[in-house]
Formats: sequence, structure tokens, C-alpha cells
Amino acid sequence: MKILVIEDDLETADHIGDALRAQGHEVDESFAGPDGLAKARGGKHAALIVDRMLPGMDGLSLVRQLRREGSQTPVLFLTTMSGIDDRVAGLEGGGDDYLTKPFALAELVARVNAITRRGDQRQTMLRAGDLEMDLIRREVRRAGKVVDLQPQEFKLLEYMLRNSGRVVTRSMLLENVWELHFDPRTNIVETHMSRLRGKMDRGHAGELIHTVRGTGYILRAD
Amino acid sequence: MRIRAFHTEGFRIAAIFVAIFALSAAALTAVTIVIVNSEFRDQIVQFANADIAAVKDGYRTNGEAEAKEVIGQRMAAPGTSDFFLLERGRTPLAGNLKPMPPQTGILTLPYPGNSPGHAILGTGTFLAPGLYVFSGSDLHRARLAQRRILFTLSWVLVGALILALLGGMLVSRSFLRRADVIVRTCRAIMAGNLTTRVPIRGTQDELDRLSETINAMLDRIAALMNNVTQVTNDIAHDLRTPVTHLRHRLERARERAVTTEDYDQALEAAIAASDDILALFTALLRIAQIEAGARRAAFAPLELSALLTHLRDLFTPVAEDSGHTLEFMLEGPLQVPGDRELLTQLFSNLIENAIIHTPKGSRVSVTLKRHGHDAVVRVSDDGPGVPADEHEKLFQRFYRREASRTRPGFGLGLALVSAIADLHGARLEIETVQPRGFAIALFLPITQA
Repeated sequence: MKILVIEDDLETADHIGDALRAQGHEVDESFAGPDGLAKARGGKHAALIVDRMLPGMDGLSLVRQLRREGSQTPVLFLTTMSGIDDRVAGLEGGGDDYLTKPFALAELVARVNAITRRGDQRQTMLRAGDLEMDLIRREVRRAGKVVDLQPQEFKLLEYMLRNSGRVVTRSMLLENVWELHFDPRTNIVETHMSRLRGKMDRGHAGELIHTVRGTGYILRAD
Repeated sequence: MRIRAFHTEGFRIAAIFVAIFALSAAALTAVTIVIVNSEFRDQIVQFANADIAAVKDGYRTNGEAEAKEVIGQRMAAPGTSDFFLLERGRTPLAGNLKPMPPQTGILTLPYPGNSPGHAILGTGTFLAPGLYVFSGSDLHRARLAQRRILFTLSWVLVGALILALLGGMLVSRSFLRRADVIVRTCRAIMAGNLTTRVPIRGTQDELDRLSETINAMLDRIAALMNNVTQVTNDIAHDLRTPVTHLRHRLERARERAVTTEDYDQALEAAIAASDDILALFTALLRIAQIEAGARRAAFAPLELSALLTHLRDLFTPVAEDSGHTLEFMLEGPLQVPGDRELLTQLFSNLIENAIIHTPKGSRVSVTLKRHGHDAVVRVSDDGPGVPADEHEKLFQRFYRREASRTRPGFGLGLALVSAIADLHGARLEIETVQPRGFAIALFLPITQA
């Protein structure tokens, strides 16, 4: 995939570029707003990583302008301030996700992957290996047998299935499954994940959800 | 020399009043002079008419001789006209005026002997065909009266001007003195003495109100400064510890690590430690942001029982895993204006606190009730509790109880809770639970403050 990084801090830009190249992506870089906008218009990028504070034109205006011109390229905003309002403004301004600096590279990669390969949201059946989720009947089956899930577990599994084959981080789960925009001090993620795994994998061969050490989880049907 | 009193608002106001007074006095003088003048003329004419009526009476009873007689009497008597003339043709018969061409009605004649400022006002008429009589008085009396009025009023005006000037100076000097006090106070504060305050006289006047407002502003600034100083100190102190730990770890790795695995482990630990430090910054920034109050714009109507039900689903498995009982008693629906994200964090914080700070087997309960104009959310536990003398300190940043020093955390949780509560105009109360336990209640106003 070709990804455009618009970031004026050279160290951060290099850091991001290296990490994405290591994942096999092609990376374009821009260090200022107007130049970034021009590159974003011309290139066929799979995703944009845009810093909120840029010389010449700020990131939010840049993305708003792109959206006005009809661009649908997924955008991940970066910001230094943990501004609570910043995130809302960023998402309303046309961003698809939001990441506060400093961030772990694994977090950035996971989020870029999530926004570029967004599946069809209208799907009513989600599948991975012998696991099936019927979103209309709110029913989950593994190898044909019904797995009884609590609503929270259902939401968690749905998110894992929609991102199947990709790493999801703890904070992605907290934000997207439980709407928690802070780091809890109890092990909410681990607790809910272990209950879900217990129910799904009990009596079945092969685990579906795997832990990615230091990063998060991945749902993968081997 | 520049006299400061002339440059004050008090003096300016006094000067304006003096000018207005002078103008009105001048107008009054002009009106008075006009009125006095016309009164005098009326009086002269009345005298003249009375005299002529008397002469006519005399003529009618006893002819010309009697008319002469009356004129003679009248000229000698007080309260009558100054000048008389009785003539037939151009022949004077009586009086003290030279003969003249007869004119009837009210007339003004030149004064005999050409004296400036004098003139005769009077009435002339015919007693019989060819027999003319005139009676009149010197207009000079009216002019004298005018001059006296003008003279008196001028002195009054000068006196008033002097008084007003002095008054203005006095008022502005007292104003200046008080303004000087305010200026001196502000200078003292600029010089670094933030505890100085402007003295209040207790008169409730404008300057007192200004002083009170300045003092209130200074109190607020002092509170903010204290806060900033405290946070800065806290950051300096509390960052030293994790940064020192990080340094120790790295040093130890340099000394002892042999295998690649050892180095890997040391790096992991170092990254984790720097993450902690960054998390500390994030937490502090968040508190500062909330305290700045910019978030009120994001307020929307929130249904508390739904929000708490969501948290129940989230935290019940966590509590079960740690051997706690978590129970919710929610009266609802109860709607309040608020920030969903921040209130979620607030309640999560209280619930997590209860789970973390109580031993296995403890019961944690969350209740939602309406109490008057407040929605009351109470999180309580039957754990060891906190002694009453520590309750105040719990909301301070970085305050950590002896018992919890060994657990991870920065001691910022309740400071954040308190900042969020303040933003919502909500009251936080720590309650003592009998026989043992801890409870914290949040009183959220149901209508926007």
C-alpha cells in the first residue's frame, strides 16, 4: 500500500516512515500543509497520516478541503495535545481515527491497517474459520454449535471479526467496543477477552483469538 | 508644574458642573435684567398716568389754575413723577420741562442738559384742545437697578466658581488618594507580593466596588498561581521517581546484561517505564484541560442510569475476577447535562478505586438516586475505609495513602474526579460508613447551572 505521511517533525516522520516500510508499505512524505494537500490530491494513496499542527495549513483544514473535493482516502490524525475536544473535532472534520503522540509504532500500524481495510459495514454474516456470527439474529455459532455470549462479549467478538486477520490494540478495543477514552487501571480488556475466549474455544480445536505480546490481539483462523 | 488634581476625573466633573452653573447664572441674570427693566418702565408709566389723572381731575373742577396747582403739589410730593409740563401751544404754563411739540401716549424724551445714560419716560395727553400735559421720570433708576443686579450676581458667580474649584480639587484629591492606594497595591503585587489586597472602606461606593472586584480577581489569580506552582512542584518531584527508576534499570542492564535476551528484557522494561512517565503527563494535562473549563461546550443531555448500566456490564466481570461483589441499584431514568466521556471516566475511576483499594471478598455498590435538584451517584464499599482526617487530602494531586504506595498509580485519580465534578458544578462528598467502609457521593445538578 502507498501511504502519505504529512508531518512537520522530521524525526516523527522518519520513525513512522520506517515502521510502515518495514511492514512492506510504500511511503510518501510531506512536511507542510499546502504541499501535503497537493500530494494528497495527486497521489493514489491508500491512507493519509496527518499531523494536526502543520506549517502553512493545519491538518484539520487540509482534510476538510480534501473531503470537500470528494476524496474518500482514509485519514489518521496525529496530535501532540491529548486534547479531548481535538479528537471529536478531528473525527467530525473527516478523520477516520485519531492517535495522540507519543504512540507505540505497533499502535500506529494497527490503526492504519484498520482504517485502510474497513470491511463492508452492511454485512450481516461475519465468518472466520468455523466461527459464524449472525448480526440479525444476534447469534454466534462455532462449528455449528451455538455459543452463548453476553452483549458485551458479542460486541467484542463482532469487532474482532470485522478486523479479522489484523492486530487490534488494547486502546482500539477500549475506544471502539466500550467507548472508554482513557486507560483503565483494572484489566477490563484482559478480563472480557479471556471470558470470550473461554466461551468460544471451550470444546473446540484450535484457538481463534491470539494474544500479540505487548500490543493486543488478533483473530485468525489458521 | 503639572498639578495632578487637574487631571483627575473628579476635577473634570467639577469643572463641567462649574461651567453649567456659570451658564445658567448668566441666563438667570439676563432674564432678571429684562424683567426688572420692564417692571421699572411699567412703574414709571403708572406714576405718570396717576399724575396726569390728578391734573385732569383738577382741570375739570377748577380749570387751568387748578391744573397748575396740582402740578406744583405733585412736583413737591414724593412717589410721583420727576418731570412735568403743562403748555398751551408752545407757551409753558407749569412744570420743569422746556416746551416741546405735543405728542400723546407713552414716550421717551431726551434728558435736559444732554447727560449720557439718562432719558425721560412718561405719558403725554391733551387736557383740552391746545392744552397739553406731560408727566415722566428719569429712566436712569432702571439702569442703576440693572447694574446693581449685574454686580451682585457677578460676585455670587465668582464665589461659586471658587467654591466649585476648591470642591473639585478636594474631591479629586480624595479620589486620587484612593486611586493611589489601588495603584500602590497593584505595583506591590507586580513586584511579587501576591498577598497584598486593596483596603476596603466599607462605604459601598464605586471605588469600594472596584477595590472588591480587584481583590476578588487577585484571589482567583493567587489560587491559579498556587495551583500552577503546586503542579509544577508536583511534576518536578513525582517525575524524578519514575525517571530515576528508568535510569537505574538502564544502568543495571549495562552492568549486568550479557545475553541478547537480557538486553531485550531491559529495553522492554525501559519502554514500559517511559510509557508510565508519558501516561503521567497525559493524566496531568487532562486534569489541567478539564480545570481550564473549556469542555463545557461538549455538554449534552445524558441518561445516567444507562451510562451506569454500561459500566456495570464492563466492570462486573473485572470485579468477579478479583473476588469482589459489585452491585448496582439504579433509580432511573435520570437525565443530567454533562460530558459523556468525562463522566464515564469519573464513574469508572470511582469503581476502579473501590475494587483496587479493598481486599478480596469486599462488596462494592453503586447507587443512583434523585435527591432534590441533584442526581446522586454513590460508590461505596465495605473495605477498610479512610480516616476522616485524610479525606481532604484524597483529592490532592499525587496524594497517595501509605497503604497504596506499593500499588501502581500516580495518585491522580481522585484529583481528576474532582476536576470533572467541578466542571459539572457537582459536589463530591466523602462519607463515613459504619461500621467500616468508604463511600463517595457525587451530587450532579439536574438542571444546567
